[in-house]
Amino acid sequence: MKIKVMSIYVDDQEKALRFYTEILGFAKQADFSNGPFRWLTVASPDAPDGPELQLALNDNPAAKTYQQAMFQQGQPAALFFTDDVKSDYERIRAQGAEFTMPPTSVPGSTIAKLNDTCGNLIQLVQLARY
Amino acid sequence: MTDRERYTPGPASGAEVRKNGEKWTLVLVRELRHAPEKVWQALTDPAQLREWAPFDADGSLGTAGNAVKLTTVAAPSPHVTETTVTRAEAPELLEYNWGGQEIRWELEALGGGTRLKLWHNINRRFISMGAAGWHICFDVLDRLLGGTPIGRMVGGDAIRFGGWQRLNAEYAKQFGVEAPAWPPVPKPGGVQQ
Repeated sequence: MKIKVMSIYVDDQEKALRFYTEILGFAKQADFSNGPFRWLTVASPDAPDGPELQLALNDNPAAKTYQQAMFQQGQPAALFFTDDVKSDYERIRAQGAEFTMPPTSVPGSTIAKLNDTCGNLIQLVQLARY
Repeated sequence: MTDRERYTPGPASGAEVRKNGEKWTLVLVRELRHAPEKVWQALTDPAQLREWAPFDADGSLGTAGNAVKLTTVAAPSPHVTETTVTRAEAPELLEYNWGGQEIRWELEALGGGTRLKLWHNINRRFISMGAAGWHICFDVLDRLLGGTPIGRMVGGDAIRFGGWQRLNAEYAKQFGVEAPAWPPVPKPGGVQQ
């Protein structure tokens, strides 16, 4: 058993796909549709066989309420790990993304938070090396 | 070998795409050897839909105004949408909305059979997938109505099937669109899902 797919709710799958590929730099993995249902995932180009992130259409009122509350509290919907949070911050910001927290030192890591424009905050994490 | 294992779809046919700007509609025509009344039942009765359609319905689609939940089947996660039947003129015309996509069925008596026509306003990116999926659904429907059901083939069951892959490519070629790449090309040493 392994963790293969985690889901994130997005308000618009097409917009999310552009954001997660063109701005964040992930690669599209699966894109399949059955009627109104669309199974859409991205993965890190560094680990194409690794975990995938499903960009799930948020058409569920309960999920929308939860998502908005988490966003307002500043709670990230997903954490992505990087070896160089500062350079990712510069690269992603240059693409026009809005950061709600610049790279900030916290115990054990440096973190940054950005708005994915689809309803979520994303946290970038660089673990501290001692 | 069972009838299901023996089943191979014929070549892509009976489909066209109507383009109105960004809004594309898939139009499919299939002639069935069964009377419109019988086909109408298969299009509206939840028990029969379960035998061939790409969704389950929790109520009859046969009455205008009926609110029905449609659940996409054989998808990696369940997807439920609520619909209201907008037109139901048995056994000729049926209209409802499937999660934002308009579905319209027309049944025309043809000899002792039915000329079934489907309009499906589908996301243009997946129009060849949709045509391939409905093609197989109609084959399954035809066998169901003929009394020799082979079992529903939709979603993940369909895409693992070589016939679906071929139809997807054939329809994409007919429509002049790129066939969505699915399943992903296996990577060396990678695990095929």
